[in-house]
Amino acid sequence: MDLTPLVRLRRAALRRPAVLVAAGPGATRVRLAVERELPRRGWPTAHGPADADLLVVAGDPGTGHAEWAAGVWDAMGAPRARVAVGAAERVADALDEAHRALLAACRATGGGHPTVERRPQEPGRGSDLTAHRRRSPGAGPQHGRTGHEEHTGHGTSGVAGAAMAERADDRDGLRLDRLHLPLGPMLPDWPAGLVLRLALQGDVIQRAAVETPPPSAHHTRPAYWDEPWLRALRGETVSRGAAARRLCAAHLDSLGRLLAVAGWGDAAARARSVRDAALTDTPAAELPPLVDALARRVRRSWVLRRSTAGLGVLTGARAVAAGATGPAQTATEDGHGDVYGRLLAWLAGAERASAESADARPLDGPAARTGPRGALDGPCPPSRALLDLLPALLDGAEFAGARLIVASLDPDLDGLVTSAAGSADGTEVRGG
Amino acid sequence: MADPGPLWSAALLPALLITAAAATAGLDAVLTAGAARGRAGTVRETASRAAAPVREVVRLLVRQPRRTTAMDVTLLRIGVVLLPTTAVLAAAVLPLGFRAVGDPDIGVVWFNALEALAWAAVWLTGWASNSALALIGGYRFLAQGLAYELPHMFALTTAALGAGSLRVGGVVDAQAGLWFVVWMPVAFVVYLVSAMAMAFWGPFDQPVGRDVSGGAGAELSGADRVLFFGGRWLLLVVAAAVGVPLFLGGGHGPWLPGWAWVLVKTAAVLAVLVRVRHLVPAVRMDRYTEIAWLVLTPLTVLQALVVAVVVLGR
Repeated sequence: MDLTPLVRLRRAALRRPAVLVAAGPGATRVRLAVERELPRRGWPTAHGPADADLLVVAGDPGTGHAEWAAGVWDAMGAPRARVAVGAAERVADALDEAHRALLAACRATGGGHPTVERRPQEPGRGSDLTAHRRRSPGAGPQHGRTGHEEHTGHGTSGVAGAAMAERADDRDGLRLDRLHLPLGPMLPDWPAGLVLRLALQGDVIQRAAVETPPPSAHHTRPAYWDEPWLRALRGETVSRGAAARRLCAAHLDSLGRLLAVAGWGDAAARARSVRDAALTDTPAAELPPLVDALARRVRRSWVLRRSTAGLGVLTGARAVAAGATGPAQTATEDGHGDVYGRLLAWLAGAERASAESADARPLDGPAARTGPRGALDGPCPPSRALLDLLPALLDGAEFAGARLIVASLDPDLDGLVTSAAGSADGTEVRGG
Repeated sequence: MADPGPLWSAALLPALLITAAAATAGLDAVLTAGAARGRAGTVRETASRAAAPVREVVRLLVRQPRRTTAMDVTLLRIGVVLLPTTAVLAAAVLPLGFRAVGDPDIGVVWFNALEALAWAAVWLTGWASNSALALIGGYRFLAQGLAYELPHMFALTTAALGAGSLRVGGVVDAQAGLWFVVWMPVAFVVYLVSAMAMAFWGPFDQPVGRDVSGGAGAELSGADRVLFFGGRWLLLVVAAAVGVPLFLGGGHGPWLPGWAWVLVKTAAVLAVLVRVRHLVPAVRMDRYTEIAWLVLTPLTVLQALVVAVVVLGR
């Protein structure tokens, strides 16, 4: 292999590529595996397509996810590579393959940077091995500009074919430009698959509408976070310890997102590493001290309390009317009902669950029907209630506040597809 | 001490600042990796983690440039280049020991004016990207400027008042006996807070926050990204370094030569600022404005009053 010094430099520079994870519906298990694997390799995670080298697409095809992912791919500059992962066990191999493809993509110089494309395939089959080369569209300085705005929530206004922003009355009675912006589904620390249609004035949200992906025909597995309870409801024997571990990890996953959105990267990273400890075979006795230390650190932060308290207040009556049953509803009972209250409810839930992680008794009673986000035997999936609550809470919120409110409810879109009533045979109960 | 430094010092200044910025970024990378992966086991591993920013720069430089639809390339270039330029120009009044590249009579005002130019840099970058999240990032920095600038200016004024001079060299001379931090602690703490805010660093990084996918810098790639985020590191270094002549006695100190004291003190301030980022979550500007205007501004005015009375009584 004859390498020029420039190519050599490029390959050396890409030894640790920045990875953008596009996790769609049904990909929680894969996302968790990727999030565990990246820090282990010391590969940085990208904020968005602008600084990403590798795109990892995880999720069920047929939910519109693939089109969104293609938009993100178009927005990435060369050299780049992408890989679709369908099974958590295949993550390490898939990353290796994509990395090899990326290094190969470096070899070509000049205007047309060849890139390696991997097509998404059926879930559960691992990553696609049939990589093929193609010329990247529009290579050169204008490379990778199309579709980006629409697909990652970066909207345009003005020229180049896009409509100008219209005007509308703002909350203070002024007439200001209004921008229509889709938010999601591929923002960092965002519920997988969720799309919010926003009308923005400046960074104030005037109106928000929730858009959820259509349920996929492929999507037959129970939602990852609800799995132990769904299995128990189907009559299988699930130990309380296993359910407690999953509950603890689910709350810590949500917490990690909220802390990341709140701009506290260190605590978010800690929450995620404790989450991974709960999901792997860490001895049950070692789990509670880890969770307690994290909870103490988070509760001690005055700045966190100050910037999240009083935000997205949900009254008990509204929570009940919408059918919310999980931490979002318990937070209203304790008198908070705001973003900070929901955060405290997760911490308390995670602490309780971590103490029960050694319990080998079978899951039964009311606990057997209540997953991380609420009752699974109710009239609608718990995440549906959370989504129904979202638009009213977001009206008039500022962008930073809105991101915190979404993260504090953390609806799990996988949970919409499968719930107790219909999951026995894997059929969808209620979609978007 | 008022005479400016030799011409070659102007050429040396950017190199010195870049070295300091790389070292600071290395420290930050070690702390970040520690939070995600646990403590480094070996010295080799620590060094590898500290080299992450350098790797990042090389990685970005080999990438192909990319553009968003209808991006205003001219404005973007201006914004992206303005940020590091601002930082280096602001550093011109920094005395390394007792001599700066230039020591004008209005050195403190010079620093303050250039720091406000950074607002323009970030706003232009956010605006020119023609992307909603970048625009929101740009807005946020303007709101941040409104919030932090008032107490910040009172803190600067207090130091100038104590010395009876707007010349940075003059402020250092006035601290030959007693460092200003001893009798102006409030002004010093407020200065440190606003140093983070002006470099949109740590709890004040919302203009480039993760919740807006990198905000003002969201659409930058390649060399643009290196200049913009590198410029931020330079700004952080300069903001920390200016605190040394203003409050920590500049080159004054026993045993060591003046320049060594300046380096040691600057490193200490930088270490504190880097650590704060890992300990404190982001401050939302709508909440911080309240604190800045209702608590910090009165406190700094009170501090300035105390200093004024002391100066008059001397």
